[in-house]
Parts: sequence; C-alpha cells; structure tokens
Amino acid sequence: MAFEKNLEKAKEKAKNVKLFAHDVHGVLTPNTFLCDIEGRRKYTFWHIDGFGDLSLTANGIQIAFLDTTSIDEEGLFRARELKLDKFYYKIKDKVAKIEELKKELGISDENVGYIGCEVTDIGVMKRAGFSVATADAIDEVKEIADYITTAPGGRGPIREVCEFILRAMGKWEEWVEKVTKMGYK
Amino acid sequence: MNKEIVIEKAKKVKFVILDIHGVLTDSVLYYLDNGKKSECFSLHDRLGCMALMEGGINVSFLTSKITRTDEQVAKVYNVPLDRLWGTSAKMGKLDEFEKESGLKDEDICYAGDEMIDLGIMKRVGFSVAPSDASIEAKEVAHYVTKAGGGKGVVREIAELILRAQGKWETVIDTLMRKGL
Repeated sequence: MAFEKNLEKAKEKAKNVKLFAHDVHGVLTPNTFLCDIEGRRKYTFWHIDGFGDLSLTANGIQIAFLDTTSIDEEGLFRARELKLDKFYYKIKDKVAKIEELKKELGISDENVGYIGCEVTDIGVMKRAGFSVATADAIDEVKEIADYITTAPGGRGPIREVCEFILRAMGKWEEWVEKVTKMGYK
Repeated sequence: MNKEIVIEKAKKVKFVILDIHGVLTDSVLYYLDNGKKSECFSLHDRLGCMALMEGGINVSFLTSKITRTDEQVAKVYNVPLDRLWGTSAKMGKLDEFEKESGLKDEDICYAGDEMIDLGIMKRVGFSVAPSDASIEAKEVAHYVTKAGGGKGVVREIAELILRAQGKWETVIDTLMRKGL
C-alpha cells in the first residue's frame, strides 16, 4: 500500500524535535536474529545509523532507545557503544516511558520524535510531535506516520531521519562541514 | 487468491503447523569459523506465534529433523518443545496428530515452501506459502504471504487468522499488557 505524506508538514514538525526516541527491533535491526545450536543469538545493526544518532546528540537532541522485546540486551550494547545513556529495556508501556522522559527533560509532545515499525509503537506515535515509520513497518504504523523512510529497518532509517531533522532545522550543512573538518565522537 | 475464500478458511483454523526452513527462516545457513551453524529467524514471527497461542490456536514446527537451533528458537517463540516434530514423513505425522487430537484437516493451517510440503498443503483446510516459496508450493497454497521466508510469514498468517476470527485487537492488547 502506498501512503502519501506531506513533506512540508513533516519538516515543520521535525523542527520542534528535542527528544528522538526509537524502537530497537525492526528499526535499528531488520527484526531478525541469527541463532546457533547453543541458542546464542546475534543481531545485525547498520553502521551509519550510529552516525545518525550521534549527529542528533551533537546537535542537542536527546536520543532514547525503547525496547519492548524481553529476550536479549543487544540494543543496550549498541547504545553503550554509541555512548547513549537513555536505553530502556523490556518496556511494556512506551507511552508511560515517554511521559517520564518528557517530565525529566521538561518538554512537551510536540518536542518528541519517534520512529517505529510495529503495533507496540502506535500509542507513542499517535502522541509524538514527529512520528516516523520504517519502509517495512506494518501498514497501521505507516498510516499514522508523518514521514516514512526509504530505508527498511536495520538498513539505515536512523541515518535518513537524522538528515531530515537536521535539514529541517537548517543545521545539516553546517554539521557536515564541521564533522568533515573536525571528526566526531 | 480470492480474499473472501481465504477469510472463510482462516476462520476455521484451530491449529497451525509451520515448516521451519524457508518459512521460519530465509533458507540461508551461516557457517562461522568455529564450525557452528546459525540460521536467521524473525522477531515478527515471535509476535505471530505468541499471538496465535494467546488466541487459543496452538502452533507446532514440523521439519525433517529438529536441531538444537530449532529448540532454542522455540524457546524464544514460547512454543513448547513437545510441539517440535521432526520427521520427513509429514503426512504420516499429520495422520497421527489428527488421531490424537481429534482435529480434522479443515481445522489445520499449514505453511510450507517446498516439494516435501505439497502433500500436506493439498490436504489441510488452509495452506500458506511464503512469497519466495517454490512455484509448486505457491500454486497449491490458498494464500501466499507478502513476506518472504524468515521475514514475518507467521506474523502475517497470525494477523490474518486472528482478524478473521475477530480476536486480533484483544490478543494484541493482552500481549502488550503482559509484555513481549
């Protein structure tokens, strides 16, 4: 199903983002896992998505990982690698978690950006000021999203949204110039 | 595929049998330098299996040989180990299961992708093939999923069956409350 999105409207909404939260499975990963005979599981992430998250934090936008799936902690390892402190694991109620974060940061719904892919993300996405769906999200998620990435989960959606947000804010060019001169991390 | 016929068939499903390779996985085998083999599964399917079971529809895995990887994945999907059936005589297993459970062909949904699955797919009430299954399997199937093997076939079947039976919304609410 094709969903038409108003890009100008999405840009306006993206300008207000102060907290960009995302789901782990299906967004940072393709929602798959490798399993060997001893039950050791491996997950795949996308290298440049890390640059996406770091670009946002470097520009004053907080990042939070909200994971519902309660089997492994790979999202935590990824968050640690990226030196992100807001990682929440086994979250039953994402809406309540976002409410908590809003209080902590002193921000309102319009400052919340969120990218998701599954039924578990719908509640948060309906409230968030700027909501994004991955290319391979379920239809219900795509329907309510302000923006749909061309990348599917685990294949660069964060990198894409990061550019979209920073461009909307007019900070992208400057950031790229800064990074290429000075590096990041 | 006639949508109404598919929904009628899905309404009757009481038990789902899943082939593993090519349905729960993308058929790819990953060999690591330590000689250990891994296979790729989907967390969408974990949601699918959990949703079916929450909706009172039990799930079993049927493949020619159950490996330790399959057992580990069953644990992740919350499928009890006694519902992992390893035999290449798939039709024989179906006969045995129907005798034991009192279920009939029309109560059963089977998802398969290869020659070895065709017999059972022709028999059951609702047969499903992934989008990248063999041509023969797709010809026989009542429903071909949008998802390819290992990319959410079970989630798609689960939503289809549970929506047809009017249970999807309640099941998802319950699962989200319990935590996934």
